[in-house]
Amino acid sequence: MNILCFFLRRKFVPYLDGGLRPGQAGRLEKHLAGCRECGGLIVRIRAGHQAARRFDRLSPDASPRLPEFEEIWARRPSPSRLSPALAVPALLAVAAGLVMLVAVSSRTMTSHSREGLVASHDIQAGREFTPLAIREFAMNSRSRIVTEGFVHNVYYDEQERTLHIKLVEGLQDPEPFVICEIRDVRGLTIPQQGSRVRVYGMARFDAQPGRGWNEVNPVMNIAVLNR
Amino acid sequence: MARVVPDDPEKVLVQAARRGDEEAFREIYRTYREPVWSVVLSLVGDPLQAQDILQNVFFKAFRGLPRFRFRSALFTWIYRIARNECRNHLRKHGPSVVPLEDILGSRYEADTASVADDGSRNRRDALTGAVMQLPFKMREVVVLKYQEDLSYDEMSRILGCPSGTVASRLNRALTELETLMRPSEGTR
Repeated sequence: MNILCFFLRRKFVPYLDGGLRPGQAGRLEKHLAGCRECGGLIVRIRAGHQAARRFDRLSPDASPRLPEFEEIWARRPSPSRLSPALAVPALLAVAAGLVMLVAVSSRTMTSHSREGLVASHDIQAGREFTPLAIREFAMNSRSRIVTEGFVHNVYYDEQERTLHIKLVEGLQDPEPFVICEIRDVRGLTIPQQGSRVRVYGMARFDAQPGRGWNEVNPVMNIAVLNR
Repeated sequence: MARVVPDDPEKVLVQAARRGDEEAFREIYRTYREPVWSVVLSLVGDPLQAQDILQNVFFKAFRGLPRFRFRSALFTWIYRIARNECRNHLRKHGPSVVPLEDILGSRYEADTASVADDGSRNRRDALTGAVMQLPFKMREVVVLKYQEDLSYDEMSRILGCPSGTVASRLNRALTELETLMRPSEGTR
């Protein structure tokens, strides 16, 4: 390959797209007629190009559900903490530390921070959250839901690096269940096993291999009804 | 790519978002959610991981808006965040091994009526599988060029490399794709 080949090869795809001016296309064609290496290469690139042109944009329907704006909005830092560049990583590090602490100690903890949570008045008024029984998750199409059940167990998921609560309708019944995934423990009361709780959050289905269960993910708030 | 001028509605929207206007953030999300989703899903392959990445992309975009200097279009900037999130995710977790039908499931169902025969569907399966097998840097140029229909200049801004590098990378990706597609094309 000489220097001419090097530069002309950058024009191959625009040429195949018909995007070169007639003079440029003519010079390229003349080169291709005399250069076996470039001639062979453009045959392969043309085949790849023709195949790639059938590569459509994947439809959003390919997902069970795209995240709602509220899920992202709920994670935003408060305006006063936007400016310092280190504030957010520090908060995230603190949150990760809290998750680990909860996982190790498995005891009830409460943080006073309200950041990242749904405003309590929203929850008290029950606005925007659709009540949903655990057994109804399989047929559910609503995203913001509130559900109630008993805490079967609380565990730290190493794979997801989040705290999980398995919620069941009755303590003697392992199914149906729903997994409540807590990404940020700040401001949440982590319930004990056997507690009856009300969980607010986003409903989704986890279709990862070996899973195939319904989730509340992320959990936005938890109210412990009794222990 | 559209040049940002003072009266550009996009600039007005970004400035409103910087002031904390929730509706402006919502509009940005509504506008870019699906194209960003499409790129992220094509790059990581797993819808559930793509969901989490999509959240991170917009979380970071919203958090970083005060630092957005209008040196590029907003979508270029968001795509760049998306691309970096995908690359970091794949570095940490490795490429996903997800059955193709899990990636494309409902699209296949929706497309059934429009697909003329099993042959064209098989070719599409093979193509998507081949694109997913490309190394990340090659896959991203294919996704940006053929799925998002971006120009070399736009790709260059998103990828942070000269357009000549984009062209060379695209050539390598297409020859690799031709090689990967060869066995299945041969079975038709």
